[in-house]
Amino acid sequence: MSRGGTAAVSRGGTAAVSLLGPQEDRKDSRATEPLWRAAQVFRLATLVYAVSYQVASVSDYTRPTLSWVMVALMAVWSGLAAVGLSRNTAARRWLVAADQVVVVALMASTRLVSDQDWYSTHQTLPTTLWATNAVISAAILGGPWLGVASGAAISVASALVRGQIDLDLWRDATAPILISVGLALGLAANTARRSHAQLERAARLTAAAEARERLGREVHDGVLQVLAYVRRRGTEIGGPTLELATLAGEQEVALRELISEQAVPSPASGRYPQHSDGDVDLRPLLRGEASTTVWVSAPAVPVLMARERAAEVAAVVRTALSNVELHAGGGAKAYVLLEDLGEEVIVSVRDDGVGFAPGRLAEAEAEGRMGVSRSILGRVADLGGAATLENTPGEGVEWEIRVRKQASGKGRA
Amino acid sequence: MEPLTVMVVDDHPMWRDGVARDLEAAGFAVVATADGVTAARTRAAAVRPAVVLMDMQLPDGNGAQATAAVLAASPDSTVLVLSASAEREDVLEAIKAGATGYLVKSASAAELVDAVRATAAGQAVFTPGLAGLVLGEYRRIASGPSDDRAPEVPRLTERETEVLRLVAKGLSAKQIATRLTLSHRTVENHVQATLRKLQLANRVELTRYAIERGL
Repeated sequence: MSRGGTAAVSRGGTAAVSLLGPQEDRKDSRATEPLWRAAQVFRLATLVYAVSYQVASVSDYTRPTLSWVMVALMAVWSGLAAVGLSRNTAARRWLVAADQVVVVALMASTRLVSDQDWYSTHQTLPTTLWATNAVISAAILGGPWLGVASGAAISVASALVRGQIDLDLWRDATAPILISVGLALGLAANTARRSHAQLERAARLTAAAEARERLGREVHDGVLQVLAYVRRRGTEIGGPTLELATLAGEQEVALRELISEQAVPSPASGRYPQHSDGDVDLRPLLRGEASTTVWVSAPAVPVLMARERAAEVAAVVRTALSNVELHAGGGAKAYVLLEDLGEEVIVSVRDDGVGFAPGRLAEAEAEGRMGVSRSILGRVADLGGAATLENTPGEGVEWEIRVRKQASGKGRA
Repeated sequence: MEPLTVMVVDDHPMWRDGVARDLEAAGFAVVATADGVTAARTRAAAVRPAVVLMDMQLPDGNGAQATAAVLAASPDSTVLVLSASAEREDVLEAIKAGATGYLVKSASAAELVDAVRATAAGQAVFTPGLAGLVLGEYRRIASGPSDDRAPEVPRLTERETEVLRLVAKGLSAKQIATRLTLSHRTVENHVQATLRKLQLANRVELTRYAIERGL
């Protein structure tokens, strides 16, 4: 019957070699390292079980001394395999193949140390539990198919050694257990490898995106330098180049806003409090209004507030700015200032235009200007905030809008 | 009178030369140029310029690092940041590191000359954008967790806040003086104080960090 054992050995052996393939190369096996280490702990625990089994059974063996030699070999192999398999080396696949051979050989040795009464009714010498190690190794190395193949091979070896050709799966769960361990651990190993690969791909993509962004910033910076230079020199030279200077200036402002938005660290970097759901940074919404005649000043850190409130504040600022454009007079500049007071924000929109003379209020109203003012007041009031309008004739108009960041304080007027 | 000495730190030759030309034409002595942090540090130590014009993006570091390095090498120099791209955190960092002014690169030659002269005279050169950043920084510090070990938390007085807000709203020092019925000089002093306190707090912070780390 030892021939049957040999057959099983070669089967296990060839299976291991042919199925190894590219499944587990050393690079991606980092993903399965925890599995390998856990498997070696299991191996040593099963050795303790196997030795205890030997102590309990040795009195029934026909050749106790030889059985102790076999158990000693088993212990030595357990140690060698545990050390070898916990290291990520190219030798791992050969150790796994050897694992199959050693397990089957030790199983076969049961026939040398006991009589038929014993071996047909008891576990093999290395015990089923210890034999599982070979299945586990194969499954982690080669995935579910190799795991199942190893489980099947060890089961067949066990059945042959014990002379149980008419295997009764209902009385002896060895085969189902070994095969399902091989399947389950193989699937686990493949899942670990897949998620590891995904993680690596994500990390690579992030790194590539960061490199691209850095490169983009450098290119943008160069373009910005040229635009700023054209604007500056063009203005100095004057005449027809003034138009070029103006165009360059507009693009310069737009590009500067774009770059500084990119430079803002992402919330995920942990430097700033995370955006909670539905919160947005008000700054970019206001900075979108920046131009050669509109300055936008804001804190260096995000000003987070409820999305729809932020949008409404930005809309009010837009209204105020279009009012400046229409009524402040040619060449007037506008200054938007955003301040974060913690619970609320203050947004000021000031222009350095003509303002309006007190006597011109009625006229202004007739022009529709007061209508715009009323619209701003109404919208801010809807947000539960306050808006004030200050007018200094000759020095322009200033709106100051105070709004809570969250809707919770809606009752407050 | 000796001409005012200036060093230009910028990695774009076009800018370096253009700015140097404008400054020379206005009667300043451009005693050195540098294209990076390392060059800026060694040259500042050698020539001790009165004013350093500092770009924010350098090949071997940012403007804040360069500002700190230059001021360590030449403590009597003043730094004016001249940036094309960012009116944001990095500018704030440069200010904390000791820069006393900030100008966008598209400012006209006349504005630049005025700013260099003001910086040399010890005045702070503010844009509305910078005032908004500084204001935001004080508010951020005030709203942060109170730290018992930090007695030096910088705070603005009411008057300083008022002045800074008006700067951020685009008013000139003269307009602010008129509006608050203060002297022009007092307005300048308030603006300078807002920067000085921030820089002092930054130094205290760095020292404490160094002591904690046993450096």
